[in-house]
Amino acid sequence: MNNTLRTRLLSILFIFGLGIYALFPSIRYLLLSEDAKNNLSKDEIAYYESKSIKQGLDLKGGIYIVLEVDLPQLISSLAKNKDKNFDRFLDELSKEYTNNSADFFTVFEEKAEEQNLKLPRYFISYGKTKEQIIEQLDLQSTDSINRIIEIIQNRVDQFGVSEPTIQKQGNNRVVVELAGIQDSERARELLQSTALLELMIVKDVESTNTIVRQIDNLTSAANDTEEDNVDQLFNSDASANNDLGFSSLLIAVSGSDLAVSSNNLPALKNILSQESVQQVLDATGSLFLTGNSPETLINDFGEEEEVYLLYHLVDNAELTGGVIEDAQMRLSQSGVSAGQATVQVEMNNEGSREWSRITGVNINKRIAIVLDRKVHMAPVIRSQIFGGGTVIEGMDSIQEAEDIAIVLRAGALPVPVTIVDQRVVGPSLGADSVNAGTSSIMIGLLLIVLFIIFYYRASGLIASFSLMWTLILLLGVLALLEATLTLPGIAALILTVGMSVDANVIIFERIKEELRNGKSVRSAIDSGYERAITTIVDANLTTGIAAAVLYQYGSGPIKGFATVLFWGIIVSMFTAIIVTRFVFDFITSRKNIEKLSI
Amino acid sequence: MKFMENTKINFMAFKNAGFTISGIMGIGSIVLLLLGINLGIDFKGGTMIGLNFSENVDIEEVRTAMSAVESDGQIIDLSGEEIKHFGSTDDVMIKVKIRDNVSPDFAQHIVNHVYKTMGDKAPADKNDFILSLDSVSPKVGTELSGKALWSILSSLALILLYISIRFEFKFALGAILALVHDITITLGIFSLTGYEVTLSTVAAFLTIVGYSLNDTIVILDRIRENMKSSGTVLLESTINKSINQSLSRTLITSMTTLLVITVLLMYGGATIRPFAFTLLVGVIIGTYSSIYVASTFLTTLYKSK
Repeated sequence: MNNTLRTRLLSILFIFGLGIYALFPSIRYLLLSEDAKNNLSKDEIAYYESKSIKQGLDLKGGIYIVLEVDLPQLISSLAKNKDKNFDRFLDELSKEYTNNSADFFTVFEEKAEEQNLKLPRYFISYGKTKEQIIEQLDLQSTDSINRIIEIIQNRVDQFGVSEPTIQKQGNNRVVVELAGIQDSERARELLQSTALLELMIVKDVESTNTIVRQIDNLTSAANDTEEDNVDQLFNSDASANNDLGFSSLLIAVSGSDLAVSSNNLPALKNILSQESVQQVLDATGSLFLTGNSPETLINDFGEEEEVYLLYHLVDNAELTGGVIEDAQMRLSQSGVSAGQATVQVEMNNEGSREWSRITGVNINKRIAIVLDRKVHMAPVIRSQIFGGGTVIEGMDSIQEAEDIAIVLRAGALPVPVTIVDQRVVGPSLGADSVNAGTSSIMIGLLLIVLFIIFYYRASGLIASFSLMWTLILLLGVLALLEATLTLPGIAALILTVGMSVDANVIIFERIKEELRNGKSVRSAIDSGYERAITTIVDANLTTGIAAAVLYQYGSGPIKGFATVLFWGIIVSMFTAIIVTRFVFDFITSRKNIEKLSI
Repeated sequence: MKFMENTKINFMAFKNAGFTISGIMGIGSIVLLLLGINLGIDFKGGTMIGLNFSENVDIEEVRTAMSAVESDGQIIDLSGEEIKHFGSTDDVMIKVKIRDNVSPDFAQHIVNHVYKTMGDKAPADKNDFILSLDSVSPKVGTELSGKALWSILSSLALILLYISIRFEFKFALGAILALVHDITITLGIFSLTGYEVTLSTVAAFLTIVGYSLNDTIVILDRIRENMKSSGTVLLESTINKSINQSLSRTLITSMTTLLVITVLLMYGGATIRPFAFTLLVGVIIGTYSSIYVASTFLTTLYKSK
């Protein structure tokens, strides 16, 4: 073996070694039995998971959620001296925001200009000019999205997901990927819940009755103005419910509580959102909120009916979740609720002081524990409470209590978020596509190998050898890059195999051509490779350019495709041009071959 | 072993037939695309739910269950939405168009409702009931289509530039034309099947872009090489010679690729099927176009000079 051959062999072996080394953890992890996997320590699992090729959500099953920060809501909470003009502005802004993907603050500026809104009037603490204000508000929004990511990270960590991905997308979105999670409903609640805990005093019965009467007057007055009022009296259509008075929707339940049938809930919300009703409520500084889950009630006809309790509260939280230091799920030990899941909340010093003051001055009043604008319970304060501990009841299950404890511990989101894109792949679908995909690719590969060996004989063997190494090296690169393999990634893998085979075919056909032209085996190989290389490089580079651009601009699945394709091209050029060439050169250097098996 | 070696087929004699076939298929495809391609929720927004029942279910039964879905106190009639079997008769795919004023958890409410109404035919664990659940807001949909389109267009532009530098601008035009030809006709045939365009079919189309480019460049490369010996004039005989010289390679490569795709189509499962089908059509069209479209277009370009 001469010197150049030896250096070539060594560098090829070095690269092969690197590929095997990179792939080693993946193979070992794959070969572990289920039992052995369960026995691994947390660190070992983390090691394997970071070093192995990860399967994307479409293969493994899991949840992909994109959360969008409600920026109009953030703006609204930052504004002072809000008036009608501002409300109208905000309305249009949020409409534009939900339908248009333009940059939020560009739209903000446009709308403000369009409506001639004087920004300093509302945002004087953020600057005196429009530019200053927008810059400061932009900073505020960046700040709140960073806090949101931190809080969501916190929640996910406590939820116990291996290898979650949480990323910022653009300047108003968070992408969360939870592989292997099956309970999508639960995960979504956990991510989306604002976790705003508020403690609010319940208004007394008299003022509630007064306000119900006032709203009744308003709603029936609205009815009187309708011309076809008489028709409606005789029309018992369900949709007519919307036009009935407020109190007709209410049901009195045990004691002095109010409730609303779940069928009437939309109608009730409709009435409460009317402007005149809002004004009445604002004037008394109160609001109506419903309970967090429905209760079953036997109605006047002796039938079971699903109702939501309705609470009339002072529209000013006495205390909010910011004071919470710790929250834990506990099973209730005593009383009627024994055995039920509850959340035990501990407050910090400041919270404890406030809490004892609040409970001290409101003895015999009821205080509602409100989470995300839904009332969980409204117990009567019997005595002053010291020490800052409180218990939240009204959970449907242990799981719900655990989740609420998690979100309370992790903290409330500064701004509400909404889910704009969600994808859930059940574990069975994922497994199906993996099995079907891999087995068909394996069969396909086997057929290719058989075909090229049949067609090109000994040279076909060399091509198959290089094909095998293309796959090993490509998977090795993917493991090194900690890339995730998805369905489109597998597509790129097939394309790579195709192009790798093609490179070999181009070379072999060239060599055959040179042999037909009467060249010796040695010189046919040399000129065959030389001529084929330009073709292969041109074809591969063109495709490589496409892959690079797709990687740059593409989203999710397209990116996965582009990564695999890009590296596939590089690896397959290496194996087809350098590795097979070496094998040919090596064989022909040892003895003078008269006839090439090709 | 020998196969299609030393052939002397006069491909250029069928040039006009090739033009006509490509023209008809191309125009037909454009018409089909204008008539409407089945865009998936990835690009339009909406909700798609795959449900896995434990026994055979009748679509009508699911439709009845969907006629009164409860979501946040609202009762919504969804019986008119697209409901069909998926893979087997145990599995059902429901596609719901974008609706205004529904709860953010609308998709989950649909699942819960069907699970409640048809619980006797569903697995005991609700998590096993959900095969897949996708819900995309129209805003994200528009963004995704914009991004996909932008990335394809910008890669085409760069390819044009690369080929112009390495070969010649006319070659680049030929390659791009072949590419557009392949994509348009494959899209046209794709729209006939009623499969919907999703992000993973976009991946299949990207694969075709890669394949078609590879194929075209190999032949263009031969033409370039042969042009060196025949001077700068591009004769039909030069093209014929080049196509014949690379014919065995073209056919062998197509054959091996089709081998894998056919296996994928047969055993790849319901999720992969639209994907594999797209590849199958694309590779066949791509092989044809690398022989006819790019090179015949080149002769026209050179003649018009």
